[in-house]
Amino acid sequence: MTITIAKASALPATHVRPLRTPSQRSQRRWSFSAWLNLLILGGIISATLGASWLAPFDPTQQTLPDRLHPPAAQHWLGADHLGRDLLSRLLYGGRSSLLLAAVAVLVTATVGVVIGSITARVGGFLDEAIMRLVDLLIIFPHLVLALVIATLLTPSFGALLLALTVTGWTTYARLARALTLDLLARPFIEAAGAVGVPERRLLLRHILPNILGPILAMTFLRFGHTLLTVAGLSYLGVGIQPPTPDWGAMIAEAQPYMQRLPLLLVAPALMIFLTSLCVTLVGQRLTHTFDPRQW
Amino acid sequence: MSTILIRRLLLLPVLLLLTSAAIFLLPYLTGIDPTMSIIRARIGERTVDPAAIDKLRREFGLDRNLAGQYVVWLGDVIQGDLGFSYVSRTPVALVIGRGLRVTAVLALTTLGLAVLLALPLGMIAAYRPRSWLDLLITIGCQASVAIPQYVLAPLLIWLFALGLGWLPSSGWRGTQFMILPVLTLLPSPLAYFTQATRAGLQEALQADYMRTARAKGLPPLLALHRHALRNALIPVVTLVTLWLAGLLGGSVIVEVIFAIPGLGRVLYEAILAGDLPLLQAGLLLLVGLAILINSGTDLLYVLLNPAIRLGQKRS
Repeated sequence: MTITIAKASALPATHVRPLRTPSQRSQRRWSFSAWLNLLILGGIISATLGASWLAPFDPTQQTLPDRLHPPAAQHWLGADHLGRDLLSRLLYGGRSSLLLAAVAVLVTATVGVVIGSITARVGGFLDEAIMRLVDLLIIFPHLVLALVIATLLTPSFGALLLALTVTGWTTYARLARALTLDLLARPFIEAAGAVGVPERRLLLRHILPNILGPILAMTFLRFGHTLLTVAGLSYLGVGIQPPTPDWGAMIAEAQPYMQRLPLLLVAPALMIFLTSLCVTLVGQRLTHTFDPRQW
Repeated sequence: MSTILIRRLLLLPVLLLLTSAAIFLLPYLTGIDPTMSIIRARIGERTVDPAAIDKLRREFGLDRNLAGQYVVWLGDVIQGDLGFSYVSRTPVALVIGRGLRVTAVLALTTLGLAVLLALPLGMIAAYRPRSWLDLLITIGCQASVAIPQYVLAPLLIWLFALGLGWLPSSGWRGTQFMILPVLTLLPSPLAYFTQATRAGLQEALQADYMRTARAKGLPPLLALHRHALRNALIPVVTLVTLWLAGLLGGSVIVEVIFAIPGLGRVLYEAILAGDLPLLQAGLLLLVGLAILINSGTDLLYVLLNPAIRLGQKRS
């Protein structure tokens, strides 16, 4: 990844937009499978958002006679070890993790872009120091750091958000910095500086709009990763806390009953897998669309 | 180049000092009273005589001010004394060392396998771009990245341990105990390495020097081996070093699921038990490893490709 960024920022300052070749144009067009990904993603998101209308049961309602009930007319996907309806829990379970991941990705992106573009503009020691910190944080195992932060500040939405932000901003900062450095070498920025555009306006009106595309693509790519981290923290018991249903926690709860009713584990696992796969594929599509090398 | 490298190396001790301060301050930042967590770890949540709390505080040097405590702690750490675990009362260095050894075996096996498998897969995909084999490999990569360990591990246990009964489901007593954990850890690095190999090789294959090599009459495979691979593999090498750091600290979930006494599980249990000396030492070790690997990667980059000046790397 370092390589592509270095390449992009090593474009000559007088880079002229080349005519696009047919193959590049076809790369820009969204294929059937890309739309299908978006459709599945939209379906999952609207299903979890509409959980309160779609779910046949209260996801926390325990009906002990229905313990480990196999799929049937009453419980379409069966019931878990406490007799809670699996379908309802699946619908509600996506809500908290998707929401947390979405908020976290937005906050993270904002923090990263602000830091990255400003350090690129300011340069010097600040830039050097922050980039060394980024180098370090990117290597440091994210799950451990998130675990430490989320646990030591009693698990809550805010603590999880903080944990995800501290571990996640570096990727955006690096990307925003590389893109900004590339832009700073372009004539139009020099021209803007020459006619006396103030610094803040330069960053907000001239640089920010030009780096948003790749950042948006990165946001999609990171969303899948963030979702997996959120579910992982829930799996380890320090993420979203019961009784709120969550896909990661559902996997942990289903493990002892795996042999009797595999669907209990497979269903949430499949949801996590599908969501993160679709988001990532959409993100890759967007990355191609916004590839700086195709400007 | 050398000035930038020197400046980077000079910044490292500063960075190490700052992170060590952050790690030391961890309990204070989060509002945990170390004295109380010692007591809780030792005797549970009973009410304690205030005099006993004061005595313990003096005994552990927790009555000094923060700066004093930090200096003492840092001095001890530099001398290799990482303190005693609150919970097990064994030297922290011993516990961490034991965990690191187990995790290192796991991480190195995974990485070795990933590299061995990724190189041929990436080469096949790059040599026949847009063929069905390339498509299959690419789809496989996408899917493996999207499967989290906590999904894969239970499924593998279900299939191979509970269903077929071929392999043990958890524990750490021999080679057969390693198979399922490694299979769980493998997909992600394998996918990343394969894609990096494919991308690098595809770019190298289109380069002018490859056309020249072929025009001179070098057979395709020889041209691939002598010219393309060497250039294509630089990003893969950096990626491998990054994953080494990731796997050494980031195998928490796998180690918890398979009950492996590795570093990840030691840290996880230290976090849950509020065992501060163990946690701080573990974090310090991970930071040290990250710094070491990071500088190593920078150096490796220069060694592998003298044409890349460090200043042009820009990140």
